[in-house]
Amino acid sequence: MDLNELAATPDPQDPAVGLRAVGALRRLAEGLEARSVQLARDRGWSWEQIGDALGVSRQSVHAKYGKGGTR
Amino acid sequence: MTGRSAGETLRMVLRSADEEARRRGDRRVGTDHLLLGLLHESDSPAARALGVSLEDARMASETLDLAALAAVGVGIGAVGRRPTSGPARRLLPLSSGARAVVKRAVDEARPHRTGRLDTGHFLTALLSLDRPYPAAELLHALGAEPALVRDRLARLSG
Repeated sequence: MDLNELAATPDPQDPAVGLRAVGALRRLAEGLEARSVQLARDRGWSWEQIGDALGVSRQSVHAKYGKGGTR
Repeated sequence: MTGRSAGETLRMVLRSADEEARRRGDRRVGTDHLLLGLLHESDSPAARALGVSLEDARMASETLDLAALAAVGVGIGAVGRRPTSGPARRLLPLSSGARAVVKRAVDEARPHRTGRLDTGHFLTALLSLDRPYPAAELLHALGAEPALVRDRLARLSG
């Protein structure tokens, strides 16, 4: 298998390419969010501070990442 | 693979695919996750017919992501790993494509009335997909020739 062959630039006008990129960006953003929230908690940030930084409510960030959250 | 009941095989395939979806940070199990899941056991009929390692297939999927991102102007070197969560309490939902593949694999095993279902049935169903199904993209990226893989599968089960 030649991995370099894969790196040939796909057509940006191909909807499959754009949609795949959207999925990849969403996963990147969610992964970065999860890592950063964990880091903030480790450094003693409150849920309120984290919520403010993310532009969401304390409740929603706590529901997502607090004990018993979905991840 | 031998000695596993059809139900056990189905559960094993679904669990492996679920693991792949979670690992990547997806909310649904897609056809590409089913394909990666079939490679969890390197001696399974599907893995032997494809002749690709799980690591290589995961890397190919990641490379497709990076290439798609680059095509829309986002240049990054690697997709970061997400913190791993504990074991899943329940499986993620299947995408409609993945659901169709599972149904097809089970249907394909049925006519033989042997009750036998192995990873080869799932691979056969995945091989029938066309792009833009993610599994078809991944198989293409892996250089898998459908006719050749089907041939190897037939010989393995023969």
